[in-house]
Formats: sequence, structure tokens, C-alpha cells
Amino acid sequence: MEYKLRKAEPRDVPDILRLVKELAKYEDMENQVRLTEQDLLEDGFGDTPFYHCVIAELKPQDASEDVKVMGFAMYYFTYDPWVGKQLYLEDFYITQEYRGLGIGSHIMRHLSDLAMKTRCSGMMFVVAENNESSIQFYKRRGAEDLSQEEGWRLYRFDKDSLVKMATPPEE
Amino acid sequence: MEFTIRAANVDDCKDIERMIMELAECEKAIDEVKITKRDLEQDGFSKNPFFHGIIVEVPERHKTKEGHTKVGYALYFFSYSSFKGRAVFMEDLYVMPEFRGKGIGKALMSKVAQLGLAAGCQQLNFTVLDWNKPSLDFYFSQGCTDITAEKGYHYMCCKGEALEHLAQP
Repeated sequence: MEYKLRKAEPRDVPDILRLVKELAKYEDMENQVRLTEQDLLEDGFGDTPFYHCVIAELKPQDASEDVKVMGFAMYYFTYDPWVGKQLYLEDFYITQEYRGLGIGSHIMRHLSDLAMKTRCSGMMFVVAENNESSIQFYKRRGAEDLSQEEGWRLYRFDKDSLVKMATPPEE
Repeated sequence: MEFTIRAANVDDCKDIERMIMELAECEKAIDEVKITKRDLEQDGFSKNPFFHGIIVEVPERHKTKEGHTKVGYALYFFSYSSFKGRAVFMEDLYVMPEFRGKGIGKALMSKVAQLGLAAGCQQLNFTVLDWNKPSLDFYFSQGCTDITAEKGYHYMCCKGEALEHLAQP
């Protein structure tokens, strides 16, 4: 089974959304995906992309078969004012039947190489603490758990809170 | 107290660097700061910036004893949620100690929220150290959620030798 990794293109948007939903289902959060293909197209392939994507594509065995996109990683660049640029891995997923074949490791290698070439000092990501297999996958590769080791916690303001905060108080 | 908030420009990098160091000192991590004024200039104010900044200024008559009129800042960048789309990440929020308690922090957050909404963002994310009670109290009073507690999300990092090793063929 041959596959290749490549940079996502606008035509990949339907597959990206399909895989985002598959990953959400795997995390029991399927009904939380609000993104549409239109959002992904505008946000990833406009003048100022909000994200980048690398795709894992299965090469067809013969001419009658379609190519099949069976994995992806979505990432963007962030900034740590102490050390500079970071690569943030937002989503990373391989369709179940293609796991255990080294594709995930290949994607991680590709992204780490990209991080180093773009002078990022680290690769950051978030993992749910009950996702043991992913935590082990990352820890085996030398990842540190900053929540556990340094006490960093992730906080969020949702849209309603954002609107409230953005409204100046009445005089 | 009178103050203004405006977008940071390249000439603010000296003060941003100063305040980054002050914030790192508050977080007991001054030795971890490796960034220089030059890095900030290149990374924040070239064609494709990696971050954006807003600065708080006070009038001359309120300047600090060292003569600083730039007394607070926020650093943020745009990120992406594969569930909800555009998001804004507030990386740093800092007000010099003698200017706290005057609504400046709130005004900075309000500005980041406005800028985020203007860019079509659905959420504002940030991290806080679990022992930083004054900051936690402030953020909770503004209506945030602890995502680490709610969803069990741990913030992880691959850096230094681990990153180099991972990049090896």
C-alpha cells in the first residue's frame, strides 16, 4: 500500500471536513463541529490563511481506483514571547483502517522538520487526558505535558462572553 | 486614570521586550526568556507577522519613576478550531503593578475581544498557571471556562532535542 504526504489544496476541503468529523466522532464530540466546507475554503486558502493542512493520500492500485485521502494534520504558527515562533498542531488524524502503518509517525516527522526549517522552537498541541493512546504516542516521541509539569491550564471565552467583553460599559 | 490603547508598532518593541521580562519575572521564569528586541521586530512587524500587539499608554504626568509611559500590553495571534473555525489566542496580558486596579486589564481584554470579533473569531483562548490566583479570579469574573478542567485538555509541547530527534528521517 503506497501513500504520499502533500500540502492540502482547495479541492481537498471536502475530505478535510470529512476527516475533521471522523476525528470529532472518535472524541465523542461529533455534534460540536460547526465548520462548513465554505469556512474551510475561505479560512485555509484565502489571502491570509488561518490554518495549513498536510494530507495523507493513498495511491490507487490501478487506473480505475480513485485516490483516497485517509489522514491529515491541521496546523498553524503561534508565538511564545519568551522563545519565539511555535508550530501548533490543531488536528492530527488517520482513518482507523490505516493506523499502525507508520503514517502518523511520518506526518509527525514531516511537521517537526517543517517546524525546524521555519525556525520554530517547539511544536505545541493539546490532548485530552483520557486519550491514553495519543498521550503515549506523543510521550514516546519526547513530548512534555506542560499542564502536569508546569501547571499551565487552557481557558476559553466563548462567542457570547466575547461579545459581552467587547461591548464598552455604559457611561 | 487616563490611558489610551492602540495597536503596537515597531518602535514599541523596546518597551514590549521590557514588559515581557517583567511578566516573566512575575511568573518566576525570567531565565526562560530568550527573545530579543530584534526577534520581536522581525516576527511581529514584517509582511507576515506571527503575532499582533496592543499597547497601553498613560500621559507624561503619570509616567513611572523610570520615565515609562507605556505601562501595559497584550500579545495575541489568530488560531483555528477545526470544530468552530477562526479563533484568537491571547498569549500575554500584562499591566505594570503600579497601574493595576484601574480597569486597564479589562480594557485590554475588551480590545482583544473586539479585534477578534472583527476578524470573525468564535472564541478567545489563553493559558494561565494554576497557582496564579489573582489572574484566575480576574478571568473567571469575566466569564471564562477552564477547558483543562472541563474537557481534560492537557497542553503539550515537543521542543529542543525531542523536536530535532522527531525531525530525523
